[in-house]
Amino acid sequence: MIAAILKRLLRMVVVMFGISVITFLIFFATPASDPAARIAGRNAAQETIEAVRKDFGLDRPLYVQYGLMMEKLFITRDLTSFANRGQQIVPTVMAAAPATLSLVSGAAILWMLGGILTGITAAAFRGRWPDKILMGISMMAVAMPVFWVGEMVNLVTQNRLHDTWAFSWVPALGYTPFSQDPGLWFRSMVFPWLTLAFLYIGLYGRMLRTGIIETYQEDFIRTARAKGLTGRKVLLKHATRSAIIPIVIMFGMDFGVLVGGAAVLTEVVFGINGVGRLTYQALKVLDLPMIMATVLYASFFVVVANAVVDLLCLLIDPRMRRA
Amino acid sequence: MSESLSLMSRMRGRILCGTAALALGAAMPAFADESHYGGTLKLLGVSSEGTLDPMINYTARYWPLFIWTHDGLMAFKKVNGPESAEVVPDLAEDMPVLSNDGKTYTFKLRQGIKFSNGKDLTVEDVVASFQRIFKVSSPTSGSFYNGIVGADKCLAEAATCTLEGGVIGDAATNTITINLVAPDAEFLYKIAVPHASIVPADTITKDAGNEPIPGTGTYAFESYDPNASLIMVRNPHFQEWSKEAQPKGYVDRIEYTFGGTEEAAVNAILNGQADFMYEPVPTDRLAELSVSHPDQLRVSPLVAWWYAPLNVNIAPFNSLEARQAINYAVDRDALVSIFGGPALATPVCTILPPDMPGHVDRCDYTADPGEFWSAPDMDKALELVEASGTKGQKVTVVTDDSVTSRGVGTYLQTVLTDLGYDATVQSISGDIQFTYIQNTNNNVQISVTQWYQDYPAPSNFLNVLFGCDSFTPGSDSSVNMSGICDKGLDDRMKAAMALGSTDQEAALREWGDIDYDFMKLAPAIPMFTPKDVDLISARVGNYEFTSQFHWLVGTAWVQ
Repeated sequence: MIAAILKRLLRMVVVMFGISVITFLIFFATPASDPAARIAGRNAAQETIEAVRKDFGLDRPLYVQYGLMMEKLFITRDLTSFANRGQQIVPTVMAAAPATLSLVSGAAILWMLGGILTGITAAAFRGRWPDKILMGISMMAVAMPVFWVGEMVNLVTQNRLHDTWAFSWVPALGYTPFSQDPGLWFRSMVFPWLTLAFLYIGLYGRMLRTGIIETYQEDFIRTARAKGLTGRKVLLKHATRSAIIPIVIMFGMDFGVLVGGAAVLTEVVFGINGVGRLTYQALKVLDLPMIMATVLYASFFVVVANAVVDLLCLLIDPRMRRA
Repeated sequence: MSESLSLMSRMRGRILCGTAALALGAAMPAFADESHYGGTLKLLGVSSEGTLDPMINYTARYWPLFIWTHDGLMAFKKVNGPESAEVVPDLAEDMPVLSNDGKTYTFKLRQGIKFSNGKDLTVEDVVASFQRIFKVSSPTSGSFYNGIVGADKCLAEAATCTLEGGVIGDAATNTITINLVAPDAEFLYKIAVPHASIVPADTITKDAGNEPIPGTGTYAFESYDPNASLIMVRNPHFQEWSKEAQPKGYVDRIEYTFGGTEEAAVNAILNGQADFMYEPVPTDRLAELSVSHPDQLRVSPLVAWWYAPLNVNIAPFNSLEARQAINYAVDRDALVSIFGGPALATPVCTILPPDMPGHVDRCDYTADPGEFWSAPDMDKALELVEASGTKGQKVTVVTDDSVTSRGVGTYLQTVLTDLGYDATVQSISGDIQFTYIQNTNNNVQISVTQWYQDYPAPSNFLNVLFGCDSFTPGSDSSVNMSGICDKGLDDRMKAAMALGSTDQEAALREWGDIDYDFMKLAPAIPMFTPKDVDLISARVGNYEFTSQFHWLVGTAWVQ
């Protein structure tokens, strides 16, 4: 067990090292990205640029700069941004994390519940009206880009119908920490949750339905039926349990990626200053320290989520424990 | 001498549909009614923009805030309209006394002023603040303040900067003497911008980053998180000493929130959840707003230009005829429509914008040469291209990724194609484009960009954008994007700057001529002068606008 964990940790370090080196090299290969000129400011005199270059250690060889950046990021933890010079990277990412976690966790609960319900219902009514309606809606959900759905939601809740009884309870866009005002936190997160979850409900519902229907062809289902189990028991206890494995694996990946910053579109549309928006802003202004930190943060979550998913699968499916 | 730039390089595309009528920013009379004091002003920005150190930050987003938290010895008048281009004594008691052929300025410091941390303002703070400009490598240290005696040493070795013989404080008489290497007619402008703010002598001598630095203004920064918000509150030690230089602000608190999208900001303002957004109103909303909420839109003139620098060092625009040809061929009216129509922009033919001192209405590159541009002269343009022998060459127009910039780029592409070139457009991120087009290593032939004044002096356009000192091959900081270095004109510009300190009128006439002579060399295509459009909430009163710092947040009230 310990060996397995160590192996995983080692793999994680290698992956993160590779990602950091690639990020670093791409940055310096980008034209018009000279950090000294960008830090010095518009039309700075050449003397000023040289002073800044020296001050920030940007005149040193790339591998030294890389080493220093990693040291400041992981050991002294006092790496500061190139764009907002006084901004310490580690605390900023840590401060943005709760917003993203709130958004993604809430949405995850909704989409897992919604997705499973949709998938099971559709499978149970396969080929009949409920199935057709649910699959039609989920196809739409998958097809609509999340930023468009978000803008439409805003158009209705913040603009056109904002002053009506239906949506006057919706607060202004933005994030309120849970510790500050739980009620406001909840009200401000409702539509971001629904928006982000909508796509995944569609996706997961369709996948689960297909999975259950495929599982119905398996021998153990026939056995279960032959034993005289009720249709409902066969569906919920046997078919769904087996068909849900790929969903859990996918959930792990999606959750990790979203917590790492892939919810950027939802964050931006709803004014939630989370990790995704931080990454996006850093990329926009070519802020290497912030790009580096957020990219590593994201890769960390993907790796961790994968590990958690592996464990979950062992719990759900006894067959995997034997392997 | 005075280069530098662009505070106001807000690459802000501001489009409005066709001829939609807009309410012009009419100045309301600023009568001091006590009931207007108080309340919270809420500003929105999609993103924050760097350090809170007034000596380093060089953005149009924060400069309009620094003028309310910090003071210099001089200040631009905080009043509506053209008068705002005048400098008045701020922390100095009076206008300085000039001596030594205009090379020595003597200021008497006002007494009884306190910083927001409660400390008294002394001459020592002023001397230390001037040294700090160099110690923190302010972006303009080598361009605005390099004329101070001792600045050369400070630029070479910032850490030990003393400005010896340059800035001398005398506590006994409460005076500060500043010695310049040569007379500089623009010096008072340069010490009226936030980079010359006076801060306490014990302020950290590196970028203070997110930590607010105490100032003497009517407001003080309370907190700053670039990923969330910037909060300004009243400076508890502020006593109004000059209404023109630093009036008491109306609102008690200013909250600047970062995040979201421009779309969301428009909705928030219409819903009364916010009062102002920094980013331009999305083009698709402007037309609708000009009909549904005309009272909340404010249109104001800017001292700026949209232009297309032509690289005079590489083909095809190393040919004078080719540069003149494209200048003749461009239909400025078409460009104005791309930007939003005549309500939001005016065609130009000169480098100096119409509201800039020294500007003279003259236009050669038009069908009917005279004072103003009238129509393109395609026949002449085609003749010139033929004569230049550059026909058929490949040309790439580099624009940023904003809708307007791309629109302008695509238009230039069609003109170049009509002239017989093989033209393409390359759009790159707005945050990269401005440095990309400056670096000669990127071989940019023609680009679309804009320039906003730092202070109202012609050199701020001509010398900065086309002077030999602003051209550094291979550097991301080489704002002379045309790469032109005409020795004769460069000498004339230096002479005009010197002349300005003795005979302002004659200097301005000379700047007008220099502008005209530069345009004969056609190092760029002047396109149009943009206007500023602000969307404000219904409760904001006393909206005042200056070309220098745009909306004066401190003189607006919310109740």
